[in-house]
Amino acid sequence: MLRVEALEFGFPARAIGRDVSFALDRGEVMCVLGPNGGGKTTLFRTLLGLLAPRGGAVELGGRPLAALTRAEVARAVGYVPQAHSGYFAYSVREMVTMGRTAHLGAFSAPGHADRRIADRAIAALGIAALAERPITEISGGERQLSLVARALAQEPRLLVMDEPTASLDFGNQLRVLDCIAALARTGIAVLFSTHDPDHAFACAHRALLLGEGRALELGAPRDVIRADTLKRLYGVEVQVVPIEDGRMACMPPIRR
Amino acid sequence: MRRGQLLALALWIPAVAPAQPVAVADATGREIRLAAPSQHVYAAGPPASVLVFAIAPDKLLGWTRAFRPDEAQFVEPRYAALPELGRLTGRGNTANVEVVLKAGADLIVDVGSTRPTLASLAERVQEQTGIPYALFDGRLESTPAALRALGRLMGEDARAEQLARWFESELASVKQRVARVPEAERPSVYYGRGPAGLQTGGKGSINVEALELLGARNVAAEAPANLVTVSFEQVMLWNPEVILTSDPNFWQLAWRDPRWQATLAVQSRRVYLSPHLPFGWFDFPPGANRLLGLWWAGKLLYPKQFDVDLRGKVVEFHRRFYHRVPTAQQLDALLGEPGVLPP
Amino acid sequence: MSARAAIYAAAVAALLVLTAVAFAAGRYPVSPGELLAVVSAKLTGSRQTVPAGVEIVVLQVRGPRVLAALLIGAALAAAGTAYQGMFRNPLVSPDILGVSTGAALGAVLAIFLSQDVFLIQAFAFAGGLAAVGLVYGIGSRLQGHDPLLALVLTGVVIGTLLGSGIALLKYLADPYNQLPAITFWLLGSLAAIGPKDLAVALPLVLAGLAPMLLLRWRVNLLALPDDEARALGADTRRLRAAIVAAATLMTAASVAVSGIIGWIGLLVPHAARMLVGPDFGRLLPLAMLLGAAFMLAVDTLCRTIAPIEVPPGVLTALIGTPFFLWLFAAARRSW
Repeated sequence: MLRVEALEFGFPARAIGRDVSFALDRGEVMCVLGPNGGGKTTLFRTLLGLLAPRGGAVELGGRPLAALTRAEVARAVGYVPQAHSGYFAYSVREMVTMGRTAHLGAFSAPGHADRRIADRAIAALGIAALAERPITEISGGERQLSLVARALAQEPRLLVMDEPTASLDFGNQLRVLDCIAALARTGIAVLFSTHDPDHAFACAHRALLLGEGRALELGAPRDVIRADTLKRLYGVEVQVVPIEDGRMACMPPIRR
Repeated sequence: MRRGQLLALALWIPAVAPAQPVAVADATGREIRLAAPSQHVYAAGPPASVLVFAIAPDKLLGWTRAFRPDEAQFVEPRYAALPELGRLTGRGNTANVEVVLKAGADLIVDVGSTRPTLASLAERVQEQTGIPYALFDGRLESTPAALRALGRLMGEDARAEQLARWFESELASVKQRVARVPEAERPSVYYGRGPAGLQTGGKGSINVEALELLGARNVAAEAPANLVTVSFEQVMLWNPEVILTSDPNFWQLAWRDPRWQATLAVQSRRVYLSPHLPFGWFDFPPGANRLLGLWWAGKLLYPKQFDVDLRGKVVEFHRRFYHRVPTAQQLDALLGEPGVLPP
Repeated sequence: MSARAAIYAAAVAALLVLTAVAFAAGRYPVSPGELLAVVSAKLTGSRQTVPAGVEIVVLQVRGPRVLAALLIGAALAAAGTAYQGMFRNPLVSPDILGVSTGAALGAVLAIFLSQDVFLIQAFAFAGGLAAVGLVYGIGSRLQGHDPLLALVLTGVVIGTLLGSGIALLKYLADPYNQLPAITFWLLGSLAAIGPKDLAVALPLVLAGLAPMLLLRWRVNLLALPDDEARALGADTRRLRAAIVAAATLMTAASVAVSGIIGWIGLLVPHAARMLVGPDFGRLLPLAMLLGAAFMLAVDTLCRTIAPIEVPPGVLTALIGTPFFLWLFAAARRSW
């Protein structure tokens, strides 16, 4: 449902990346790996229509992205940014309900139906107990889950998640990954970025390695995440080892 | 020697006798010393300009603000054309001290408040420029003393004495007439300032000095001695019998606005606008120019006791202080402006 | 009744009581009986039975002044609330884009040119609109910056420029006549407000209020980072433009008739937010109620405690600051 052709992205004064092409279907999970400053966030902003592409094409549901209105894009694509502390003490429910914006008229406020959808999203993420708490008073992980719920409230077909596991503790990281896998099973396409190659192994169908401003590799994680590709991407020596069930894991070299 | 030659000698000696130094105490008690009577006076504010110009117009270096055409017509063109030198008083200066020095001033004069702050400011300017800075009291009753002292400083004793005596007699005449007005016949007066007319002066404020000299009942007497804002309710409570103002915008507003129409003054059509050419008559600038305002307001408040020829008073004042007798048309325009006199 | 509903009810009740007190209080003695007689005669269209002076005081002086205080307090509070949400900054006041400075420059210019009251107000209103128009026109075109930061910086720069214009005019003004008039205008006062001023200010404030009320739910989205709000489907650029236009209209109309009265637009939104939270739909009505009440209380004191008028800006700071500190200490919520 998302198709990217020879995309060149960046800012009017500066190109960040070029020659990125891939397609994402319903229920597919793609993980984008890349170093800091490698262009992951800029790529996501371009795919969301928040930044104009410098070249190439982006298609959403068969239609060019540039031809869609903000609201149309928002009804199709949910954006989950990195959780921040927020300035104002909106409750989790109020924050999640903001996800209904694209479905409302300019002068409308959410109605009963909207609130039910928001509540369902909250329940799906397992944070119903937090619904009335201010987002400024919950933990980082809980906040991240709230933002995922907000994106779900948009009833999207594609979720774009920018480093959803950053600054989360180990347990919360796994919870979010579980969540991604579960969402994909319901038919939502998920595109997420991460610093940890193991996350790709955990739940992604395909991985995109974005380095030096280009798509270095694109394919199934076991195929593209190798010691040599990781060395090229991050400049470190790692070992990629198989563990039980044909799964793979990344081992940083042990120095004693 | 023959008598004619003796006479010529007698006349010649003072003309070439060396000028004597002058020392005069100004109103702050500071002694102003000049090596010789001043020939080039820088008047630091409009009240000072008025006094210096009255005594010796040729010794005035310039005006603090250039005359507008409607003001300039009341003095001779060569005086109207004197340079604009800016203000150097305590109320915000626009003068460049270097300009004052370049103009060759040998005496700086200011007329107004003589409070310690301003006295120390005068002292500072004097130290900075080396030019003696004399400060005199601007109140109407202190004007004759200021005239005399200035006359001494400028070497124009005779002329200044003449002016001072005349001013004293005018003030005395005003006071005599006021004394004959019974308390019951003194109307209550509100002096309105600002475009909305809601600023006024309390008891002792310089803005209503003329009113107090006239023994008028300032409705705002309970207010402190400066310019304050009052509310409509307060004005209506005071219910003045006469309203005076210097602001033409407020004068027009008072007739149209129902809130002002509720006052006795508007209902009895006793709302008056003070003339303002070439210097204001009633409130500002706070100098000797307000003498005319005393006659004007006196006539409005106590017509019986102030049965004077106002035109004659204007002519006399202009002749002595501005050195130019206004023409009949100028007088008509001055006194015929709407609001100046009862219709 | 939920806690929130109780808060609204208390605010409305306080406002009604304050309004009644304000109508009854004043330097000119008006008994409650006379007050009722005037109001009912006006409403029913029958003849007045009270002395003419009392009728004038109630209908021309005190009545418009009380209503104007309510209007101005509500308008400044609403504008401050909208801006604090939009700029995500609790230290923002309605003047952040320069509307008050622009209005001040307009008024000072009119006074300098010896114009009458109506033109002074017109210049002030135009000046306020022009200043924000300039700031918004320039600030929104600055590329490569966070849009809010660009607006704030442009507002500061233009505000300083306009402020220097005011300083220049004060310098050139006649010190005996114009300068005092300028000083009094800048201090702010509701003393001169009459029915005509109210008739002009009311529709302008309502015109600014309407878009804010219509967009009250969407305004919450401006509390999110720009990318997030846009990704949710909001046109943040148009939303900000609408809020700026609305807040500017309300503030310019208020400043034009009352001069500069500070603190209300800064403090009242805080107090309201502490009581009912940040949701703009709940916040706006409460902020307006509290702003109206506060302004009315201040103005009533200004005109009754002495025979002369006390500048309202002085009282808003004196009363508002300790009250705000108390509220901050007592509240359990954060922003």
